[in-house]
Amino acid sequence: MSAGVGIELQNLTVSFGDFVAVHDATVTIEGGEFFSFLGPSGCGKTTILRTVSGFQEPSAGRVRIGGQDMAGIGPNKRPTALIFQNLALFPLMRVWENITFAMEVKGKGKTERRRRANELLELIALPRQGEKYPHELSGGQKQRVAVARALCAEPHVLLLDEPLSALDLKLRQHMRTELRTIQQRVGITFIYITHDQGEALTMSDHVAVMREGVIEQVADGRTIYDDPATPFVASFVGENNCFAGRVAGATGNEGLVDTASGPLTARVATAVRGTLKQGDDAMVFIRPESFRIANGAGAGAGRVTGTVSGEEFEGPIYHLFVGRERARPIKVSLVNQGQARSHSAGEEIVLAYDPAKAVALPKGKLAAD
Amino acid sequence: MKLLTRLAVLAYLLLFFGFLLGPLVIMAITAFNSSSFPRVLPWECLTFEWFDRLANDSRVLEGLELTAIIGVFVVILSLILGLAGALLLTQIFPRARAAYYTIVTSPILMPGIVIGIATVLFWDRVAHLFGLGRDNVFYHGVFLTVLGQSSFIASYCMLVFIARLQRFDEGQVEAALDLGATHVQAFRKILLPFLRPAIFSAAVVAFLASFENYNTSVFTLGHFSTFTVVIAQKVRFGLDPSISALAVIIVTATLFLALLNEAYTTHAERHPGNPLRALFKGGISGFFASNPAAILAVLMLAGVAATVIYAARHDPAACKAEVLRKKLEIQQRYARPPTSQQKTPAPAQPRKQDGFGGVFNPQNLQTAPESPAPPPAPAPPQKPRDDGFGGVFNPQNLQTAPPKP
Amino acid sequence: MPTKSWLGTFFTRNGLFVGSYILAAVLAWIFLMIILPQIAMIDFSFSYDLPPSQQGGPEDVYTLANYRYFLFGYPGNPDGYNRLDLAVFGRTLIAAVFVTILDLVLCYPIAFYLAQVAQGRMARVLALALIVPYWINEILRAFAFRIIFGASGIINGILIGLGIIDAPIDFVRENVALYAGLAYAYVLLMVFPIYNAIESLDRNQIEAARDMGAPWWRIHWRVVIPFAKPGITSGCTIVFMLAAGALAAPQILGGPSSLWFTQIIYRTFFESVNWSRGAAYAVILLVVCTLFVLLMMRIFKVKLGEIGR
Repeated sequence: MSAGVGIELQNLTVSFGDFVAVHDATVTIEGGEFFSFLGPSGCGKTTILRTVSGFQEPSAGRVRIGGQDMAGIGPNKRPTALIFQNLALFPLMRVWENITFAMEVKGKGKTERRRRANELLELIALPRQGEKYPHELSGGQKQRVAVARALCAEPHVLLLDEPLSALDLKLRQHMRTELRTIQQRVGITFIYITHDQGEALTMSDHVAVMREGVIEQVADGRTIYDDPATPFVASFVGENNCFAGRVAGATGNEGLVDTASGPLTARVATAVRGTLKQGDDAMVFIRPESFRIANGAGAGAGRVTGTVSGEEFEGPIYHLFVGRERARPIKVSLVNQGQARSHSAGEEIVLAYDPAKAVALPKGKLAAD
Repeated sequence: MKLLTRLAVLAYLLLFFGFLLGPLVIMAITAFNSSSFPRVLPWECLTFEWFDRLANDSRVLEGLELTAIIGVFVVILSLILGLAGALLLTQIFPRARAAYYTIVTSPILMPGIVIGIATVLFWDRVAHLFGLGRDNVFYHGVFLTVLGQSSFIASYCMLVFIARLQRFDEGQVEAALDLGATHVQAFRKILLPFLRPAIFSAAVVAFLASFENYNTSVFTLGHFSTFTVVIAQKVRFGLDPSISALAVIIVTATLFLALLNEAYTTHAERHPGNPLRALFKGGISGFFASNPAAILAVLMLAGVAATVIYAARHDPAACKAEVLRKKLEIQQRYARPPTSQQKTPAPAQPRKQDGFGGVFNPQNLQTAPESPAPPPAPAPPQKPRDDGFGGVFNPQNLQTAPPKP
Repeated sequence: MPTKSWLGTFFTRNGLFVGSYILAAVLAWIFLMIILPQIAMIDFSFSYDLPPSQQGGPEDVYTLANYRYFLFGYPGNPDGYNRLDLAVFGRTLIAAVFVTILDLVLCYPIAFYLAQVAQGRMARVLALALIVPYWINEILRAFAFRIIFGASGIINGILIGLGIIDAPIDFVRENVALYAGLAYAYVLLMVFPIYNAIESLDRNQIEAARDMGAPWWRIHWRVVIPFAKPGITSGCTIVFMLAAGALAAPQILGGPSSLWFTQIIYRTFFESVNWSRGAAYAVILLVVCTLFVLLMMRIFKVKLGEIGR
């Protein structure tokens, strides 16, 4: 199997008439890594994928694969293989013919192809299914055949366009592990696009979060989650409570923001360190799991008060909703320790959080907007 | 009320399909009647001689041959053009699409003779442009006919392809390209196999349309004669039941092919991917299981085979001799001197519609030498003019007593 | 420029060979087989009928002589107008309209029945029965009608046998055979578009109308027919064009009084061998047919794009 090769997007811009699908995207993807583009529908991630594969010409900027500029090189000549969202398996060919299509176009003989097909069928855990036709397979099986077909082309880069979106939950979770395993075994670069952040976070080495054609942050999953670069990233990835307000004071890594729920201390996001000044509009993000119910009384830095407005029991987790003025209720997620229904609606409650786990960012658009 | 509407609907259906299928049935029956003018009544003898006559009619056979040759060329050309037309339609920029579609489907609406004339005239001009004479390919009947027919038959093919293309997933071509195929390879290995059923349908449509074309061909053929032209000439100038025999053959053959096609489609639906291989693997019984069309097709084949065997042994000579004898007998009766009628001499002429020269008109079978005003027709009080059957089946004429005054 | 970039995209998408094939084939088809021949025909119609040696020479100028002949006859025509040709032309059009209406009345019920009432197997069988006559070509169909309408044909036979008439009716002379033959020839082409249009009509609409107490004729008049208008229009268009341009049926089933315009064109081409005049007549036929169709479309407010097959 070919070793992984790096991809560089340099100031990539793709527009269709007046509509700019991708704006000035610059990203470096390491060879052999599992890289995801994460974002809501229409954010441009599919366009990036098609531009890297060669189905779309960039309006500006360039795509380099393995250091080589791909300008003017058609999709059939690029060292990439794309797995389409609807898989696009060839319905009139058997599974083994589908898988070895890349060899067929190079003129390889039948025996050689059959042999290779069997190898790949083993890899994707579908041994002896080669004689079937695509319509005879289940969704997950089709998925794996698509992967095998792409791998057979011996690409340096495998591109996957929301491959799991059509599968049900259990299957999706299973396939996540499968794909990651295959990638690690094969060792080539995977570029994966999805709107499901659970997928992105669990499978990828690095994630690029996109919104409306712009890459907002590129980092590993942990960083994306704990240290978002923009309010969009903070609110799109996972659940987050947003407290809007004004910077009362900022000292290097720490900041104090005056919000409707009181003054809140938070860590300044790494990406914007040093740029937050007093008087700036800012947002403090505190994850639901970062809250705990305070026993002491009263507000203060590191504390939030409010009225319980509802609760949800989700098995291992127990959610509490705390209402506040002119904003959505604060969502608090606590590990279930048998305290279900121990709070009644309307009850005054004090929440405490660790300022190191709260992130302060300049005001910006949220994912829900 | 419901029952009344039901009956009305039923009556309408019966009448409608009677109108539609009746002429065919009648025509089919005339093919087996030994009377030399195609008719059902009077039924003379069951005979298969017309089929024989047809098989030996060299003009018809030559016409068939030419039609087949032209048909093959037309199919090839129309498929090529129609496919290109359909592919372009899916890719042309939207503003031009309506105009483009109108232009390529316009030949369907154009009167056939206009297409034929335009084709002849155009290539005449082209020949002039190159300073060529009349013995050039641009005047050749086959060349002109293939082009003239293809101009609109390609439109039919295009429509078939468009319908099929609408269900095509472009992603497959992209996937093929992505996996390293050249455009030609993607076209050959992905698009064409997908279009195979459409290619087949379009080819059948094209061949049938070419086969039965008359209006355009009659102008473009020049001195050649295709099958339809030969038939048209026969119908206009030399009517006999061999034409009915031809219709019977065509309907039977087409019905059989339609059944085969239906059987194949049903079979293919059950074994997508490679139906032929499934046929060989599944065996004959697998093919026929709950496939009524297949069963009917075989029954039909058996029926035709049985008929042919019967026909080979059947000899209508005796029957025909009998019929002739009966007729002569009747003529004898009418040859007796008449009782007084001085009806007009007009009946002496064989009726115009009588296609066999009035041979069986009783007037003309007088055994006695004729006076200029031959005796009036039989059953004078009723029908002074021949009723077309030679009066044979008029009850009056079968009386042994002399006709009433 | 949109064309330039479109071409670029086109060849990128299809590759050089396939792209060239598509463009070359379509251009050849459109120009060499559709547009240019029509232009040549029009060109001929505006020319004198010259022998090959004189074509391209000084005598080869444009003229309206052929069209004038159609209207006025030969120069010095005492009648003033070319009564014969004009009469035939007019009769042909009227007859074509008549056949169209006849077919419409005949086929609408069956189209409706097939589309809305008949189920499954019954529908398929009926559809098959509809198609069967079209397996034999139009000549044989005309021939079939010649047999049954002839003096010794089955219709006369039945009528005489039943005592309804005494002597055989000359159906051919009365043009009944021709009209019946023409109507018969185009049944499928009238049924199919109407069937298509009615098939997409939501059955619930009819149910709703019936629920509100509408009698069957009103349901058709107000619900079905307006919906099926495109289908009806395309059916009528096709039948009219084909009937006006029919050649085989009039030749086989036509009596002496039912000369068809196409037969005149045929004779002009082959018997008088006057290609220019023949071309002019053909152009006249084409133009009038097209105008008629456009007029109908305007009247019934149907767009060209809706007339599909």
